[in-house]
Amino acid sequence: MSGLGKLGGRAWLVTAAALLVLLMVNAVLQPNFLEPSVIQSNLTTFLPLVLVAIGQTYVILGGDIDLSVGAIVALVNVVTVTVIAALGGEGTAVIVGLLVGMGVGAGSGLVNGLIIAGLRFQPIVTTFATSIVFSGLALWVLPQAGMPVPEPYWRTYAGTILGVPTVYVIYLLAFLLAAFLAARPFMIRLKAVGGLRTAAFQTGLDLGRLRVSAFALSGLYAAFASLCLTGETASGDPLMGQTLAMSAISAVVLGGTALAGGVGGALGSVLGAWVVGMIGSVIFFAGLPFEYQTLVQGLIILAALAGGVLVTRR
Amino acid sequence: MQPILRARDISKSFGAVRALEKARLTVERGEIHALLGANGCGKSTLCKIIAGTVALDSGEVLIDGEAAALGSPRLAEEQGVALFYQELSLVPQLSLGENIFLGREPRNALGFTDRAAIQCETEALIARVAAVAGTGFTPDARVSDLSPDQRQLAEILKVLARKPKIIIFDEATATLDRRQVEVFFDILRELKAEGVSSIFISHRMDEVFAIADRITVMRNGETVAEFSAAETDRYAVVYAMVGETGAIAASVRDHEPLEGDARLVVDGVRSTRLGPVSFVAKRGEILGLGGLQGQGQKALLSGLFGAEPFHVGRVTLDDVDVTARRPADAIAHRIAYVSGDRGRDSALPGRSILENTAIASLVREKRHVIPGAQFRERFADVLTGLNTRYAGLDAPIGSLSGGNQQKVFISRWLSPAPGLLLLDDPTKGIDLGAKGDFYLLARKLADEGATVIIYSSEDSELLSLCDRVLVLNGGVITADLQGDRLTPFELTRASYGDAA
Amino acid sequence: MNRFADHAKNPLLISSIAILALLVIGELVSPGFARGDQIVRLLTVSAILGIAAAGQNLVILGGREGIDLSIGAVISLGAVIAGNVMNGSNAAIPLAFAAACCAGFLIGVVNGLGVTYLRIPPLVMTLGMMGVIQGGLVVLSRGVPSGNAAPALMAFVSRSAFLGIPGILFVWAAIIALMALVLKRTRFGWSIYAIGSNENAAVLTGLPARRIRVLLYGLAGLFGGFTGVCVIGYTGNSFISVGDQYVLPSVIAVVIGGTSLSGGAGSYTGTALGAIALILLQSVLTTLNLEFWGRQVIFGVTLLLLMLLYGRQARLRV
Repeated sequence: MSGLGKLGGRAWLVTAAALLVLLMVNAVLQPNFLEPSVIQSNLTTFLPLVLVAIGQTYVILGGDIDLSVGAIVALVNVVTVTVIAALGGEGTAVIVGLLVGMGVGAGSGLVNGLIIAGLRFQPIVTTFATSIVFSGLALWVLPQAGMPVPEPYWRTYAGTILGVPTVYVIYLLAFLLAAFLAARPFMIRLKAVGGLRTAAFQTGLDLGRLRVSAFALSGLYAAFASLCLTGETASGDPLMGQTLAMSAISAVVLGGTALAGGVGGALGSVLGAWVVGMIGSVIFFAGLPFEYQTLVQGLIILAALAGGVLVTRR
Repeated sequence: MQPILRARDISKSFGAVRALEKARLTVERGEIHALLGANGCGKSTLCKIIAGTVALDSGEVLIDGEAAALGSPRLAEEQGVALFYQELSLVPQLSLGENIFLGREPRNALGFTDRAAIQCETEALIARVAAVAGTGFTPDARVSDLSPDQRQLAEILKVLARKPKIIIFDEATATLDRRQVEVFFDILRELKAEGVSSIFISHRMDEVFAIADRITVMRNGETVAEFSAAETDRYAVVYAMVGETGAIAASVRDHEPLEGDARLVVDGVRSTRLGPVSFVAKRGEILGLGGLQGQGQKALLSGLFGAEPFHVGRVTLDDVDVTARRPADAIAHRIAYVSGDRGRDSALPGRSILENTAIASLVREKRHVIPGAQFRERFADVLTGLNTRYAGLDAPIGSLSGGNQQKVFISRWLSPAPGLLLLDDPTKGIDLGAKGDFYLLARKLADEGATVIIYSSEDSELLSLCDRVLVLNGGVITADLQGDRLTPFELTRASYGDAA
Repeated sequence: MNRFADHAKNPLLISSIAILALLVIGELVSPGFARGDQIVRLLTVSAILGIAAAGQNLVILGGREGIDLSIGAVISLGAVIAGNVMNGSNAAIPLAFAAACCAGFLIGVVNGLGVTYLRIPPLVMTLGMMGVIQGGLVVLSRGVPSGNAAPALMAFVSRSAFLGIPGILFVWAAIIALMALVLKRTRFGWSIYAIGSNENAAVLTGLPARRIRVLLYGLAGLFGGFTGVCVIGYTGNSFISVGDQYVLPSVIAVVIGGTSLSGGAGSYTGTALGAIALILLQSVLTTLNLEFWGRQVIFGVTLLLLMLLYGRQARLRV
């Protein structure tokens, strides 16, 4: 019944089928696919997309769209590594760096939200414009890829916390945050805003605050994704995450959230992100060039949406 | 004692259009106050100002004698004002319960949405209308799955759940049938007993006199009269509404039986919630579709027009098969359709009056290039012939009042005149003057040889306009009333079925 | 006052002022910026974006959240097809245009069918299609595109045809005139506005809304294919992601040209001016001798400022 568990939309059936098929294909291609270490490594690979997709879900549920998440990922990455390096790379420096990174992410989302909701801008063109600005700022902070993060950072990311792999802890925290939000009236109100804006306004909802919150969440989750990517690459890269925005939108749509807003939830987006990620790994292990990913991903999105329509039409 | 609501000297302009000019409204505690006026007189605007959705230019609103802050619907709600929105304020994607409690969701100790409480409180509210709500009206039903009258009931419940001091019902009965209206009036009386004040807007004079304590009449953005319902009559009220120059719609019913044979033959048509339905109609006949709300009248009309095609059955007009698979088929056979839901079915918002009226003619006349000045003149003539008040053919459609817009939409079908005219509650929400013009036009078209089929949610409209009324119940025709049998009594009896 | 406000909201006027202002700034910063041949060069670049934006303009006008994100991939496809068809031969230029436009049209029709009959949101439909075409291009060309432009095509795009003006500008002018004529003076044009404004009402006046919408997407693809041929004429040879850079700028040109993203209102003349303003802005920023990041930031902020003027959505409280 909660917003997290409800898998609205028609794409859902086909997405589930696609996930199943991809799991089987992967199991065939990767003989040790079901070993815990391989599962963990796969889930690690998918994690940034999962996080960005969860954040994007809120924006889309509210009837908007955020094309700037890729640029936010890059900006957070370079700010974080620069702050850590500037503070000497010790333990406290890492923590300050993480916090600053999250602040930058949420702040970027806030800027998006304030411009779009406050000034009544079109979200597509606005987030495209802000993504240009964010990418520019990222290049200003760190003109070239490089600047490694200290060892404790990536060791912790690849290692465990209290015996649990860090990646799983992050999954758990991300889920908990999503579940927390889903259980709050925020979720119903956000869906109302995306569902029928005039009705939400007439009902007395504070549309501006809800939409800004959704963008801030999207920015925050993009920051989480960026920090995870940083844990993987262990260095700064101002061009990081460029394809993430489109992949995240694909994941959200595959997860059954209606692009028009008002229907869907974060859990679906997680599954959608896994499907997108799994396509990548199937193509990798089948020895096909990377570009096949866009082809197969595109076909599956179209099949999921078209198939969903045909299924419901009978 | 202080009146609960006093609005004074309220003025508001939309661009160059003056919607309100020093309007006033005073509502006492625990009264049912009718706010009347022709469409475009500013009563909806006044209500929206009181409810915080529209900003006022000047004037003041006092609640309980104190100046009210009405910067947003939220602020208005905090001061005890709730507005029933004519166009409804429900979110289709959310459930009935979520909609009713939207913005004021019950929470548990952790601040999470208390879904059990929503369920339970919604059920309590539903119980008040359960007898007339029909099937599927449950707390977790999606609003998009509800029928129009159920949505209207949902909107009423949503207003009640806010427990306001002042409720404004703007056309709250527009899509309700008579039994539903009765239940609604019972609720209004209960509220009154609890000391809640209601402002009631309706175009149905019967309802106003059945329920209202006092009446305020507006005209052209000004408040022109205030009455006590017990001490006045319809004539005085209507006179105040239309002013001295306005013409009051008279009955245009032809009492002579029609000559000639059937020219429209509807044979065994059926669609999802309709049929089988068979009937015939003559040239020059105005045929009414009566009965309670949602008994298949609209399905029949949109089926004849091909908007929601019949699954089976056959329709012939002058011995030509005109069974339509899509509107274009019907249009090719000179069938025209005018809907009362202008926003959804007729208006091309943001486009000019010329485009709004001429587009259908381009299709019908198979023109691919827009002709020149003569073409414009043709439509200017048609609109003038209908008494339409408009600034110019290039003005946007939104600059017109509802009644004038409806004239533009019917003018789409007038050159050349249609053979079969389908009217789907065409005067919904338009003012008396425009209604009168509309009736005369329908009669004129019928006299010129068209067959007119009209569905109306107002029985008085059917009775004053139609030569014959078919009563539908549960998707089938249950009575065919004409001549002496076409009376309010028979129509009501047939609508409710023999049991009533 | 109202009069003034009305004019201040006129997108054609604003774009024209923006264009003039950018020319003046460019000339001040770098004398010679607004010289005749420079302007022709900038207009040539604008023409390529402008022709791509013509298709974008049509689907956006048609409403229902119309947008074509696959236009970049279609441009790439058009360029690759044209390169392979021509392979340097002038004689094959007409065939190259025909083949690229046909391919684009067919892809657009598929987009249109998905959007109308399968009711897939345009953003996702065309996003998916973008992936399919990009992937398909890689698979077919194995990542190494072959073919190059014929000399006459390169001359058409960049060398003077008449009075120092290359042929492509005459073609663009013709497209602008044709689009204005079609949108203002034909039933098809009125139908586009009608379905963009209220599809249900349009259907009830007898317009075949679905067929029109499919055709709009088809035309968007056709313009994309045409742009692809122009692009290879500009660059000489094709590479498989050559069109990507046009996707969002084509949307931006439409928006700053005053077409509402919700459909039913706007004009291609505005879009053409929007395309010129966009290219000029980029060009001025290049001459400013700033670092890349600074140009990016100023570009993004300027886009936001342009949108402040008229790319905004309606107020809920009036």
